[in-house]
This record gives sequence, C-alpha cells and structure tokens, in this order.
Amino acid sequence: MNALHCFLPARTMITLLILGLSLLCLGHAGIGSPSSCLAMGMRGQSREDKGDSYQALRAGMVQEQIRARGVRSSAVLDAMTRVPRHLFVPEAARDYAYDDGPLPIGYGQTISQPYIVGFMTEILNLNPHHLVLEVGTGSGYQAAVLAELVAEVFTIEIIPGLAQSATDRLRAQYPQKVRVRQADGYFGWPEKAPFDAIMVTAAAEFIPPPLLEQLKEGGRMVIPVGTPFLVQTLMLVEKINGEIITRSMMPVRFVPLRRTP
Amino acid sequence: MTRAGGGGRLALAIGLLSLALLAFELALMQILSIVQWYHFAFLIISVALLGFGASGTIIALFRDRLLKASGSLLPLLFFACAVAMAGAVAVAQFLAGDFDLRQLFWEPRRIWSLFLFQLIFFVPFFLGALPIGLVFTLHTERINSLYAANLIGSGLGGVAAVSLMWFYLPEQLPALAAILPLTAGCLLLPASRGLRWWLGAALAGVVVLGFLIKAPALTLSQYKDVSRTLILPQAHLTAQRLSPYGLVQAIASPALRYAPDKSLTYAGTIAVRDALFNNGDWFGAVPLWPPERAATVYASTTGALPYALAKPGRVLVLSAGTGDDASYALAQGAELVQMVEPHQAAVALLGETYPESAGAMLKSSMVALSDLEPRTWLAIDQSSYDLIIMPMVGAFGGTAGLFALKEEYLLTSEGFKDLWNRLGPDGFIRLSAWLDFPARAPLRLTATIIEMLEQAGVEEVQQHVVAVRSWATVTFLVKRSSFSEADQQGVRDFCRQFRFDPLLLPGLGPEERNRFHILEDQGFFVDLDRLFAAPQRQALYEQHDFNIRPATDNRPFFSQFLRISGLPRVLKLFGDRSLPFLEMGYLVVFLTLAQMAAAALILILLPLLRLGWQGLDRSRMIVYFSCLGLGYMFVEMVFIHELVLYFGRPIYAAAAVLGAVLTFSGLGSFLSMKVSPNWAASQKASLLAALLVLLWAVLMPALVRKTMALGLEWKALCALIFIGPPALAMGLPFPLGLRTLADRNKDLVGWAWGINGCVSVLSTTLATITAVEMGFKAVLLIAAVAYLTAAAVSRVSPRIS
Repeated sequence: MNALHCFLPARTMITLLILGLSLLCLGHAGIGSPSSCLAMGMRGQSREDKGDSYQALRAGMVQEQIRARGVRSSAVLDAMTRVPRHLFVPEAARDYAYDDGPLPIGYGQTISQPYIVGFMTEILNLNPHHLVLEVGTGSGYQAAVLAELVAEVFTIEIIPGLAQSATDRLRAQYPQKVRVRQADGYFGWPEKAPFDAIMVTAAAEFIPPPLLEQLKEGGRMVIPVGTPFLVQTLMLVEKINGEIITRSMMPVRFVPLRRTP
Repeated sequence: MTRAGGGGRLALAIGLLSLALLAFELALMQILSIVQWYHFAFLIISVALLGFGASGTIIALFRDRLLKASGSLLPLLFFACAVAMAGAVAVAQFLAGDFDLRQLFWEPRRIWSLFLFQLIFFVPFFLGALPIGLVFTLHTERINSLYAANLIGSGLGGVAAVSLMWFYLPEQLPALAAILPLTAGCLLLPASRGLRWWLGAALAGVVVLGFLIKAPALTLSQYKDVSRTLILPQAHLTAQRLSPYGLVQAIASPALRYAPDKSLTYAGTIAVRDALFNNGDWFGAVPLWPPERAATVYASTTGALPYALAKPGRVLVLSAGTGDDASYALAQGAELVQMVEPHQAAVALLGETYPESAGAMLKSSMVALSDLEPRTWLAIDQSSYDLIIMPMVGAFGGTAGLFALKEEYLLTSEGFKDLWNRLGPDGFIRLSAWLDFPARAPLRLTATIIEMLEQAGVEEVQQHVVAVRSWATVTFLVKRSSFSEADQQGVRDFCRQFRFDPLLLPGLGPEERNRFHILEDQGFFVDLDRLFAAPQRQALYEQHDFNIRPATDNRPFFSQFLRISGLPRVLKLFGDRSLPFLEMGYLVVFLTLAQMAAAALILILLPLLRLGWQGLDRSRMIVYFSCLGLGYMFVEMVFIHELVLYFGRPIYAAAAVLGAVLTFSGLGSFLSMKVSPNWAASQKASLLAALLVLLWAVLMPALVRKTMALGLEWKALCALIFIGPPALAMGLPFPLGLRTLADRNKDLVGWAWGINGCVSVLSTTLATITAVEMGFKAVLLIAAVAYLTAAAVSRVSPRIS
C-alpha cells in the first residue's frame, strides 16, 4: 500500500513539487556574492546613504580583492579607492560593481575584474608626469584609474556607443586629464606620441606596429590576453634599447606539482 | 475511450511526428550553435529531450483520463506541438535573447534565464512525445509497427534536416518541421470532424505558416565573434551561404585586420581584409592575392620557418580554411598546393564573392582542392609531400574549454602517424599552436610528436623536431630526416631576424629559450624537456595538474585537459570562478548531467505515487527499460563518431548513420511482431544485442581502417553491413518488453516509455563523459553490459506485472 498516495493525491504532489522548484530558483537567483547581498540591502536607501555604502564596498574591494592578491603600489590602491567603479557600469548592474569579477557593459565588452585592473596598472610602473595611451576605452574605468596616477590619458574607442558613454563619464570626472577619441586604435594617437605607457585592452592576435612605434624608449605596454570573462595572462611589452621584449605575467601564479628541475 | 485513426493512418501520423521531432532537434542545434555556441545547444537539447521522459510520467499519472479523451486529445496535441515547434525560437529570443551561458559562472543570478530557455524548448518535445506515448499505451497490440514508424520517421528526420539546411535559413527550419505534426494532426481528426476541429487546424496552420514566412531573425550573443565584428565601424555582411556545416558569412570593415603571430620587428602596414565566420565563430580572413601580397604578411611569422630552411615543391594544407597558408605556399614557389577543406560552402562562398583573390587562387593550376575530412584524405591519398601544414591549434586568448568535446582526429597519435607516412624523404610537418596559460596544448603536442616518432622507429627523436616561439604562438617543425647543422643554424638565424625564441633545437642553451619573449613560468621548459625521456614522460603524465597525454582515435578529445583528480588543487589555485573559463566546455557537460540526473530521478519516481511501489518487481522494470535506453544511446553515439571519420563528410555521415541506425532498429521492431511477447523472448533479444555490440567493439576499428580507402559506394555498403545487424538487434528488446508488459499490466506501459526516455537523455551526456574519460571502446563495452543486464533482469522477471 502506498502511504503517501493515501494522504496526498498525485496532482497535489506535483503542485508542491513545482512550488518547491520555483522557490529554489528564486532563492538561488537571490543569493549572489556577499557584496550583492549587501548591495541588495541598499535598495530603498537614500542617495547619500548609497554613496557611503558604495564607498564601503570600494574599500572592501581594494583590501580583499586587490591588496590581498599582492598588488602593493599604494598609489594604485589609493587610485582604485577613489575611483567610483559603480559609475562606470550600466545602471542595472551598479549593485554588482564591486563584485570580484568582470561585468558586461554591452557591445560584447566587459569591465575588467577589479584585481586585473589593479594588477595591470601596477605593472605599468606609472609616474605622475607620464603620458599614457589606452586602446579600448570600454566603460572608461581603466582610463579613470590611470587619470588618478598620471599627467594625461589619451584613450581610443572604436565603438561609437561606448566612446560616447565613456566620454560623458570621464568628462564629468576628469575634464582636463582624459581625452577620448572614437577611432580605430590600430593607428594609435600619433600626434601625442611618444607615450610612457600604453594599455591595449582591445587585444588582437597581433600588436599593431604603430603602437610599438609610439611607445617611448623605456616605456611599457600591457596587453591582457584572454576572453571577455577571463584574463589568462598579461603581456608586458617593453622597449629597451630599441628592442621589443615581451614578458608573460599570469595574474595567478601557477606552479604545477612536483617539478623536477 | 475514443480511438483515433485506423492502423495505417496512425502509423503514418507517428512517423511524421517523429520525423518532425528529430528534424526540429537538429534545426535547434544548428540555431543555438549560431546564436550561442555548441555547448549551450547540447545543454538545451538534453533538457528538451527530457520532454520524452516527462511525457511518460504524465501518462503514468493520468493514464485513464488521457486514454478516455484520446480521440480528441491526440489531434490537439499534434496541433499544439506544431505551434510550439514553430514559435519556440521566437519566444526564447523575445524573453531571454540577451543571455549567454558564459555569464552564468560570474553571475549565478542568470540561472533564471537558463531555466527559461530550457522550459521553452522543453515544451515542443513534451507535446510531441506525449501523443507518441499515448498511442503506444492505447495500441499495445500494434506496438511493433508503431515503434517501427517512430524509429523510421526519426531516421528520415535526420536526413530531411540535413537536406533542408542547404536551402533554408536556420530560423525557417522549425516552422518547416512543424508542418508535419500539423498534417499528422489532421490525419487523426475525429470521425465527426466538426467545424471547430477544422478551425483549430486552421489556426495552428496560420501560426505555423506565419513563422515560416516571417521567421524570427536570430539574435546572436553579443560575445560571438561575428557580433563583435559587426559593431565595428562600417562593418557589413557581404555574402552568406547556407549549409549543414553551418551558416557561413563574409563580413567587411575598414577596421578588420588579421595578422596572427606577426613578429614585433615588422614595421609595415597590416592589410585590411574581409573575414569569414561560420555559425558566428571566426573561420578565417580572405587570403591575399597575388601571392606576393601574402608574402609580406606571412614572411615574419613563426609559420614561415619551413620556408627559411627549404623550398617545398609539394605542399599539403589540411583544414585549409580560407586558404592563407595555401596562398603563402604559392608565394614561396610551391609547384603543387593540395588544399583539403571539408566546408564546401565556405570554399564556394570564397570563390564566388572574392573572384579576384580567393577565386583566382582556387582556380590556379597549381592548386588542387578536396572537400574530404583531413584524416579520410590521408587514408585515401598515397602521395608524399615536402611540407604538410596543419591547422592552427587553439585560439588567441584561450578557448575557455569550448573545444573540449570536439573530436580532433588530426591531432591524435594515429593522425600524426598518418601525417608522418605522407612525408617525402626530407619533408616537414608544420604545426602551430596558440600559447595557453598555463601551458597545456604545447605540452600535449610535444608529447604526441615524440611518441609518434618513437613508434615510427626514430632513434634520436630530438634531431627530428624543432620549435620556435613568439609572444603568442609556438610552431613545431617535424622533419623526416634529421635536422642538419645547416638547418639548425637556419633556425637560429630565423629567430634572430624576427626576434623569436627557439624552443626546441638540438644543442639549445637555456639562455636562448627565454630571450625576447620571457615566460614567467619557467617550469614550462622543464616539463617540455622531461617529455623527451620516456620514464620522466610517464611520471609527468601522472603528476601534471592537467591531462597532457596524447589523444588517440579512441579518445580524440585533444582540447580536453581537465583531470578530475587534479580538480581540487586547480580550484584552490585559480579560484572556483576562474576554472570554469579554463575548461568551461567540459564543465557544462557535468552541469547538464546533474540537471538530467535530478530531473530523471524525479520523473521516474513520481509515477510510483500512483502506481505504488512493489519492491523488486518495480525495480526490475526500471532496470530493464533503463538498460535499453542506455545501451541504445551509447551504441548510437559510437556509430556516429566512428562512421563520421570513415565517410569523411561529417554532416552527411551523421545524418546517414542516424538514418540507418534508426531504420534498421525500426525494422527490428517490426520483425519483433513475429515473436510472441514474453520475458524469455526479451531476454534472447537483449542477449543478441549484447553479443553483436561486443563483436562490433572488437572488430570495428580494424574493419574501418582497412576499408577507409575504398570508394564511397563500397564504403556505403560496408557501413550498412557494419551497422545493420547490431542496429536491428537493438530494435527488438524494447517493443518486446513493452508488449510483454502490456499483456500483464497496461498501466505500466506509459511509465516504461518514460523511464526509457529519461535514461536515453541521461545517456547522451553519460556517453560523452565516458568517451572523454575512457574512450569509445569503453562506451561500447558499457553498452554491451547494459544489454546483458537487461537480459539478466528479464530472466528473473516472470512476475513483472
């Protein structure tokens, strides 16, 4: 004798099952990272309260995601503490701006994971008097971080929609320090060359010769190599005595087991 | 209970519906591969097929009511299936068109979108499977002919889908398929056939025709290569062509340049070129012509290395793509360039759209073209070559494991052996790969080359292989004769000129390897050197965090590097969010398996609420029909893989194999009518299937290799001989078991159909995982064990009732 069948008809069981699955899905959708839990708690807050909360999230991001993973430059860490990352992501994604990962910004692009931004910025070895070229403005966040550290940033974005939105954001925050151009990044920005540093976030299977030409002697170029959702390695390109040397720097230091030298 | 349809009409209706369902499945795979990528299609199709399992559960739970209303319900279900089939893609795009599965690992909240997709595509399969299951339940006395109609219809569906892909846009295919259940529904209209029935049919017909005439434009994921190219300034589509191989498109933009692997010493201009995309993924750039233009682009790449050492006269280019390598070979003075490229539509589009460049090259008297799969070509062609060029391995920036499930027969040990056998006395094989981080592909390639050379009897392996590295690629050169000192100096000069780093070279000093393109992970060089000594090589295979053993024809998954045993450490090292993107393609299979297992468990157990649990008898029944589902899908999967390689034209081969397997199984089902149903007969049928599958597992690889060089007609005949007997035997146990069951308790027929459906779906994913982890032979052995288990359960099941 089937005891369950005595008490609950099949239809009711199925209904309960569907309800249970739905609740599970709802619960799963609601559970995100700790920061998004915090961010969810921010709904209904006033603008000022939200600003303070984003600041707290930003400070947490710098400590837990960037400094904890080995980025040591105080200038870079301070810059990333100051730049309001949430203003560089689509409004619908603001509550996730300080999560430990990339975020889509449309047009098949992402804003990089905070750690990657910090790591790339640090290895450029920037000084306050430097001129920096960025190819692939995207959201403008990287350009904003660079603007906190150097004299001038020239950033090129080929996609008109992205170039416009980045221009609007950067003009509001850094009107004198960042110049945005909508153009093909292949050609660089010859009239402002040479550059102390070049960041090529729109990586391709080749490094455009004009960009190498526009890199100053002793200058550094960094190219993240990977997919929109994962950076496999960072290619550091240096011009030393006219010679171009590359160095592959993995954000994660992978040391396989039991190597025998 | 009103019975719908005479015997012939019913079988025809089932056949038409089955044909439509399989054609719809293949159309959906094609569409989802275009708008997303292959693994997403795999995931969705698995869930969709769960509709079959769910239909059996519903029948088991509501059997009496369904059978009572079957007269009017059956045509309604056919019409509903037609509408759902025609509209599913449009609804999915409308509700969740911006979803990309890759986001799921970073944004778990997008799981909603995934569930939504799955639900949308579940519906047409459920609505199609339900009437089939109902008809089986209603007409158990005719189950043989009905099951035969189901199988034969499915077989024809494969052939129909592939044929239609040449003529219709992918987005039109679902509506085309939907015409069949619409027609079948009309065949089953009740005898009364009042106006309301015809109105219902007309309404469904209007919807279907509407989607056929105004098929929804496909919304591609913004992360697909073609999407990211189309947003470049002035980017536009110049041509496109349909084929079962995929939708190939040519895009032009003044910002589109392609010069992979270019030396950083190159100071010239990189030319703007149009590009081809297949199913939204990068296929290649239109080749430069005349050949002198190609020389400017390719002269300063690692791929130019063989030409720095020799002047090859006869060049073989495998998986030639758009013909860049062919063009450069001609620029270097080759007398004959044999291009082997299976994607006929891409080649045709190239020739027609770019008559002055690609077209001129393809028409050159020095170029010969074949559309066979490269391995099949190597089996048939007996010529020798001075240079064999392999397709580039991997992708810039990594593949995120998206090729993990792709069979790459050219990159197996047996494939390398075939290449070696085609080399002239001083011939080279050139093999280039994108560097991945951490290094996996170059290590596996090196291991495969070394083991191939050892098996070929080469004594000093290191004298026959050199490699050079740029900032993003590595190129291996394998030579039939050993590299002379002049060759070695040539390699050094080439590297110095273009600022590459030699990676493998006799007498190479450690300081030479890491001079211009410094790798932080020096351990890569250590591992590379370990591969050259057999004992150390074996130890490295065991110890490395990733699987870097050579792929074989039995396990031809070159791009699958994940080791289950290494998972905990890699997860800890990279973080649980990075790993999916290193090996996402494989992890999606596990995600599918987990979903299928959970759903199958619920769907199989749910009917017990109504039917009651009777201990051993129910469990024996579950085992019997589960084993049949598992065995059938496992064997079908291996049939397709083996014979795709055999015929050399994958799409046609897959459709033909599927058609043949299902048709012979249908024949087997039909013949089972002559046997009176009892468990002893089921046992014998299962034993026969197990025996033939085992025989196939033992004999097939050798038979396939021995006959691969035959002409197409003879191979077709051989294939029928290879496939026919086991497929026929595999068509016997299911209808026999159902009829036996029906004689004792009709209540259980729907449930048995559902169990078989659930496990079949689960088996598709399980077969894939088994093939990747253990090889195709293991898949066949497990299938044989499944049939043996079904036989064993039949033997002790006189009381299943």
